[in-house]
Amino acid sequence: MDDRLLLIAFGAAVGVCSGLAAVALSHGLVFMMENLSVFRDYWWAFVLPGIGMAASSLFLEKVVREGAGHGVPEVVYSVSRHGGLLRLRSSFSRLISNCLTIGSGASAGPEAPVIISGASIGSNISRLFSLNERQRVTLVGCGSAGALSAIFNAPVAGMVFTIEIIMGEWSAGNVVPIAVASVAGAQVTRLLQTHQISFTHLRFDVDVTSTLAAVGLAVLTALISVLFARSLRYSHHISEKITLPVWVRALIGGCMVGAIGLLLPGVLGEGYHSIQQMVEGAFAPGLALMLLLVGAKIAATALTLGWGGSGGIFAPALVIGSFAGLMYHRFIVLLLPGFSWVDEGCYALLGMAGVISGTMHAPLTGIFLIVDITGRYETILPLILVSALSTTISRVFEPASFYLRELVQKGQYLKPRTDAKVLADLSITELVEKDCKTVPRNMLLGDFIKVVQDSHRNHFPVVDEQTGEFQGMIHLDDIRPYLLDSLMYETVFLEQVMQTEVETVDIHEDLSEVLDRMDANGLFSMPVVSSSRFVGMISKATLLDKYRHELMVQTMH
Amino acid sequence: MEMQMLHIFRNTPLGRETLLESAYFCKRLDILPVVYVPAYVKFLMYFENDVVQVDLDGSYLRSPDTARDHVVEIVESMGLPAPKFLELKHFTASTLPDIPVDYDFMCCPRSITDMSSKIGLGYIGPRVRRIVQNARFPVYIPSAVFKPWQSLAVMFGGSANALKALKLGIRLSRISGFPLDVFTQEGRRKRKDYEDIIDSEGLGVEMDKYVRRWRFFESRSFAENLYEIPHDALIVLGAYGHGLIKELFFGSTMETLQTVSPNSMLIVGPNYRASV
Amino acid sequence: MELKIDEISSCLELPSTTVERWVRQGRIPVKMIGDTCLFSDTALRKWAEEHNLPYHPPGEQQQEKQEETSENLADAIGRGGIYYHLSGQTVEEVIGEAVSAMKGIESESDRQALYESLVAREQMMSTGIGNGVAVPHPRTPLSQTGIPTQIAVFFLDRPVDFKAVDKKPVYVLFVLVAASSQQHLHLLSRLSYCLRDATFLNLLSEVPAPETLITKIVEFEARLSGGEG
Repeated sequence: MDDRLLLIAFGAAVGVCSGLAAVALSHGLVFMMENLSVFRDYWWAFVLPGIGMAASSLFLEKVVREGAGHGVPEVVYSVSRHGGLLRLRSSFSRLISNCLTIGSGASAGPEAPVIISGASIGSNISRLFSLNERQRVTLVGCGSAGALSAIFNAPVAGMVFTIEIIMGEWSAGNVVPIAVASVAGAQVTRLLQTHQISFTHLRFDVDVTSTLAAVGLAVLTALISVLFARSLRYSHHISEKITLPVWVRALIGGCMVGAIGLLLPGVLGEGYHSIQQMVEGAFAPGLALMLLLVGAKIAATALTLGWGGSGGIFAPALVIGSFAGLMYHRFIVLLLPGFSWVDEGCYALLGMAGVISGTMHAPLTGIFLIVDITGRYETILPLILVSALSTTISRVFEPASFYLRELVQKGQYLKPRTDAKVLADLSITELVEKDCKTVPRNMLLGDFIKVVQDSHRNHFPVVDEQTGEFQGMIHLDDIRPYLLDSLMYETVFLEQVMQTEVETVDIHEDLSEVLDRMDANGLFSMPVVSSSRFVGMISKATLLDKYRHELMVQTMH
Repeated sequence: MEMQMLHIFRNTPLGRETLLESAYFCKRLDILPVVYVPAYVKFLMYFENDVVQVDLDGSYLRSPDTARDHVVEIVESMGLPAPKFLELKHFTASTLPDIPVDYDFMCCPRSITDMSSKIGLGYIGPRVRRIVQNARFPVYIPSAVFKPWQSLAVMFGGSANALKALKLGIRLSRISGFPLDVFTQEGRRKRKDYEDIIDSEGLGVEMDKYVRRWRFFESRSFAENLYEIPHDALIVLGAYGHGLIKELFFGSTMETLQTVSPNSMLIVGPNYRASV
Repeated sequence: MELKIDEISSCLELPSTTVERWVRQGRIPVKMIGDTCLFSDTALRKWAEEHNLPYHPPGEQQQEKQEETSENLADAIGRGGIYYHLSGQTVEEVIGEAVSAMKGIESESDRQALYESLVAREQMMSTGIGNGVAVPHPRTPLSQTGIPTQIAVFFLDRPVDFKAVDKKPVYVLFVLVAASSQQHLHLLSRLSYCLRDATFLNLLSEVPAPETLITKIVEFEARLSGGEG
């Protein structure tokens, strides 16, 4: 069967499965909320998020022994380094832990959990059918797209997010199956889900002044995004320093979130309800309170995710964004009351796009998510403006997307078709030239010159003839002065002329590190030595040859 | 010493025996031991078509301060040069390292996820099984107490994996100089059929050169006949040669063997590439 | 088609680890079952072409490059011939006589070209290498002419002054014509190995019969290649 058709068929199947996972999670969340809402009014309700987070972290650590973070970075890591291999347990573990976290009221989003579940479903389906890495990566993308489009009922956003963040590249081979999966996921959700966020009945008349004023909102959301990303990391950092067991940490963190929630209930949970109110213009609080809400939501999310809760930043970013949008609207109305401004709901939408684009460095995702959930294009001009500017400004402060930041710092993020990816794929074993003749250390110079005559190389590794251990290297330059001196022929042993301070390469080393060392020492070739045995030479000349082939093979499908 | 063997060190008396076994294996076959002293309870192994998560038993993390010294002491006591320690480079998550899989051998106790009290005959842990299924390298399952083996015993049942095991046995015999015995349980196929398989693989010369004797069991069950395997032999065998499902239902050489024999075993999985 | 992984990697002139990785990553139209590769010949050929990679399926004869340095002296002399009794008095005369005597040169223009380049080379710097031996040769290979690689040996009736390095008059010429510089150097180095030997020079001074000379050269060459291996 044709490769492309096969992938489309698999993509649709994966999209349906991940859509089902997303529907399951949102039903679980509704169930939890309904059953726990009766306790909300008691004074001790603040421990609820604590208990939920503790249960969630216990489940992750002890029951499924997941041991990994919130989801998206793991998917990106696996796609960029391991051809999309993901553990089977990841396909459900985050759903349950996330259900416990959000259901109990802690502040997080359900998107990252469904993305990793969908991705893991895709990965495991392709493992079952022994598909190759390229196909597997595509199916991982399909899973993520299907899940995201199902949880938001936003097919375009699901697709765009997957391509922007997870895959890191647009290619014809990927886009079609991912689009199909996105459609499948959204369709599943439309069939099975009766309540969704959708603002299709809203109309906004956006005029020039409102569009221009959006520039200010872009700056605001960019700054908020940076603050958000940094407080998430900071909170994680603090909690790691505490030596208590994970579940105790989660309990403490959860109680703090609960305490914030007692004062400002709007920050709890994933927050879709507040978003709904804000966009529809039914949200009462004034400017000062909005500012407080933005801060509180950031704090609650940072505590939840940093201290052991399980979830994503997508929904909190939307909530923060709409708070920010509303706040900005109140501010400009106060400042310039003479103008006629568009409804505050519109600014809430713009704020969402701004914060999403700012934290994730994914402007297209921000734009299309809003277009998807409103189903209209009236807001498109300020939307593009806010998303693009917000990404650009936040890039000044944060070098990489929140999801990729850690990977980029560790040098683990390998964008497809880049130098880093090509170098990571090539291994020393593939590059080593084995046609080098070794010479014993006790060889006379005269005999060595005969060896040189028959060889077409300039480097000669010297080994110990008894143990076979690598001793050093001789370059033709080292013997050049004695080349015509026949007296030296019979009196000089190779060990006297060889270089012993040689930089060597281990066969298991990463190529990028080897190249860095070559550059640092100004070398063009290095001997590969594995447990003190000479294996071969590695040279920049062969590397260029292989590098070009690899690049060609990777860029053309 | 171009071959490398991965060993995951457990800093307990049991772990000492296991490392002694590994060190002896490395000494005899001129292999460099690469020792991982676990820093986290979990790690991942990314194979070609599967990712295996290993959750170590808590005892692996015990007394990390003395672990490295113990390793060096044990390995050097076997007359080997100092071992290489595995330094973690890649992490899937901050506490979830990836362990490279490009080694020539790996040493696994019968179970690495469970408490040491569970380790005994008749049980091979699910993680170890998955490693065997996916690995490009043969997996060395040491016996509980260190005992220097003096010969090699290959279980040869005629399957593709058994052939790989035979090739590996021949290679190890060539390197180590220890005698090699081949054991075959006759079933539907007769002696002649097995000899034909050997010939069609072009192993005739090597068989004559390295194999001390080829025992055919004609009567009695395989389990009973296992008494014939020398007590001080390293058993080399193939696993999952017929596919996992079939073996679950009909049993396999590996299952019978590991319940009956306490010898150290070297298991060759379906992804191992054999050369003589 | 079905091939083992090693075979297919040699078809593509790549290390088998690379091919295996490409199969795993799905970058090459090959499927692998165990260590057996399944693929369609036309698809792989097209793929290799697109990616600028060589592809020689087994069966398809690989063009073996002619080993240029495998030429030996005895064969070259066999092609060039051994001639006696050259009677010229000057360098130009001797060379002119030698060139017109040489067999294996088809057109007169080639003969003329060879003569001119030999004389030009002599004028620049004598090819008399001492002990009465000269090795006249063109400075650059005459590849545009059809002259095959050869060495022609000429014994002179009367020694001629070639302005050799040791001022001794020359009584034997080895005219060396090669199709490429590599062959030229290769043959020259072999010839000089013989000419450094006193017994060989003694033999030359006795003006040996063609068979004797060839036998001696074969013997020397055997020693030379024996020393190499």
